[in-house]
Amino acid sequence: MSISHTDIGDNLRKIVILGRLDHPGTESVANELEKLAAAPKKGVVVDVSSLKFLASLGIRALLKCAKAVEERGGRMVLVVGTNSQVVMSLEATGVSSLIPMFKRDDEAERAAVA
Amino acid sequence: MHNGINTVRPVETLAIAASGEEIRRASAWLTTALRQRDVPNPQVERLELALHEVLANVLAHGGNPMRAEPIRICLEVRAKATTGEARVKVRDAGMPFDPTGAPAHTPARTLAEAPLGGLGLPLIRRCSDWMSYRREGGRNHFVFGARWPKL
Repeated sequence: MSISHTDIGDNLRKIVILGRLDHPGTESVANELEKLAAAPKKGVVVDVSSLKFLASLGIRALLKCAKAVEERGGRMVLVVGTNSQVVMSLEATGVSSLIPMFKRDDEAERAAVA
Repeated sequence: MHNGINTVRPVETLAIAASGEEIRRASAWLTTALRQRDVPNPQVERLELALHEVLANVLAHGGNPMRAEPIRICLEVRAKATTGEARVKVRDAGMPFDPTGAPAHTPARTLAEAPLGGLGLPLIRRCSDWMSYRREGGRNHFVFGARWPKL
């Protein structure tokens, strides 16, 4: 499990999560994800396109961050690439209609700061 | 196969303790067992996710009685004339919890009003072709599975 981030200018933070967002995987990165998403940036892009597994606990962590970003007036979006398993999990829980999903980085970055 | 004899057993069982790490062990066990039985990859992925969510529910709702004995998982793969079928049974001694009786998930309209809980059951429903529940002998017995057409 790994989580990393890159700041792109003053307004955008990109967070990349790799590995399995299952029960133990989510427990190991949830606090760091919350801290990274809490940065005073207008837009937050979370790249989940290379996740091997996305369970409800992981979706809950993403949802919690997206709410926090929205509450401070920002916007969080997801990069899902062509990861059909991740897309299925987000669609089944209805989260795909709450946190915008994009296949490509550039689309996601534009949407996050729009 | 070994010397023309199929050595893969039709039924496989696993006992785990109630913890997140043990859920991960169960996921790996199920994935390996399904692949050994030539279950197609889409069904392997769905069943792995469904099992994860079922076990996460046991951890969340089982309370202290859950720790009285291991959680037992049984996998059975059957080949019929035109379809294959994988059936996963989960038995636990936790508090009564019937995932089949929960109301259907209603997606929130906005991020602000979206609850943080209740995301596991929609995943179980999406990933299973059927599911059933009974409470017997002080234990929850939950069964779910998937079918696929044989080529």
